[in-house]
Amino acid sequence: MRTHFSRSAFIEGVRDMLPMTVGLIPFGIVCGVGAIAAGASPVAALAMSMIVFSGAAQIIAAQLLAAGAPFAVIVLSCFVISLRFLMYSAALAPYLKPVDHRWRNLVAFLLTDQAFASSIRRFRESSDIRANVSYFVGGGAVLWLAWQIATIAGILAGAVIPASWQLEFVVPLCFLALLAPLLHDRTALIVFAIAAIAAIALDSMPMRLSMICAGLAGIVAGVIADRVLGRSATTEVEPGN
Amino acid sequence: MIVVVGAINFGTRLSFIALFARREMPPLLARALRHVPAAMLTAIVVPAIVFAAPGELALGAGNVKLIAALIAGVVAWRWRNTLLTIAVGMAALWLLQRFVG
Repeated sequence: MRTHFSRSAFIEGVRDMLPMTVGLIPFGIVCGVGAIAAGASPVAALAMSMIVFSGAAQIIAAQLLAAGAPFAVIVLSCFVISLRFLMYSAALAPYLKPVDHRWRNLVAFLLTDQAFASSIRRFRESSDIRANVSYFVGGGAVLWLAWQIATIAGILAGAVIPASWQLEFVVPLCFLALLAPLLHDRTALIVFAIAAIAAIALDSMPMRLSMICAGLAGIVAGVIADRVLGRSATTEVEPGN
Repeated sequence: MIVVVGAINFGTRLSFIALFARREMPPLLARALRHVPAAMLTAIVVPAIVFAAPGELALGAGNVKLIAALIAGVVAWRWRNTLLTIAVGMAALWLLQRFVG
C-alpha cells in the first residue's frame, strides 16, 4: 500500500479540492434535509450519506421512499443515476492498470463528478501514477469528509434556512464551473449543444433517464464531430482544471 | 436499502476500472470517453437552469436562473475559479430576483 502513496501529491489533492467543497456543502445540506423530510431517522440519513456518497442517488432515493415507491424502483432509479460513474470509471481504467486492487477499490469508492473532473487531466498528462492516485485520494477524502459534515448540518439545521435563499442553485453552479473551461474547441461546443438540446427535449422521460440519454447523445455527437472535423484519435480533448 | 444503493454506486464506479485493468480498451470506446465530462456535465447543468418549474421550459430573459447561470458561465470560462463562479452566480440570482420577481 505504502508504495502507492505520495504525501505531497495527497496534500496537493486536498488543497485543490477545498474550493470545490463550498459547492458541495449546500448540496449535502439539501440531501440531509431531504432524507429527514422523507421520514428517515438521523442515523439512517447519515449512514446513507456515508455509504452511498452520491447526492443525486441520495436525493432520488429519499424522494421515492417518501412517495412510497417499491424497493425495486428505488434501486433501479439509483442505478440509472449512477450510470455516469460507469463512464467515469471507464475513462480512468487505462491509467489505473498498474495500481494495487485495494487502491483501485478506494479510488472507485471516492469517484464523484468533482473528483473525476479535477483529476482526469492530471491522469492524462502525468505518468507518475503513484502521485496521481495519491492526488485523487486526497481530493476524494476531502470531498467525503465535507459531504458528511454537510449532511449532518442538513440533518440538524438545514430546515432553518429559508427556501427563498435558493441554496440548491449552488449545485448547478458548481458543475458549471467544471463545464465552462472544457468548452474551448469546436468539438466540445458541438458536444455541449447536442447534450443541451437532448436534455431539454427528453426532460419528460421517467426516472431522470433524460440525463443519461442526453449525455450519451453528446458523446455520440462528439465521436461523429471528431471524424467529420478530421481530428486524430490521439488529439486531446482536455478536461478542466 | 441503504446498503443495496451503496453497493450499486460502488459497483458502477469500480466496474470498468476492474474490467480494463488487464486488457486494452477498444479505441472507439477510448475516443468516446474523452467526451464524457463535457456531455454529462451539460446533461446535469442544463435541466437545472432552463426549467422555471418542472416541465415548464423558460429560455427568455424572465428566467433569472438562466441569466444568473450565463453570467456565472462567463466567469467560469474566463477565470476558471470555482469559488468565484459560485459567488457571482448566487449574487446574480439574488439581485435578479429582487429586480425581476
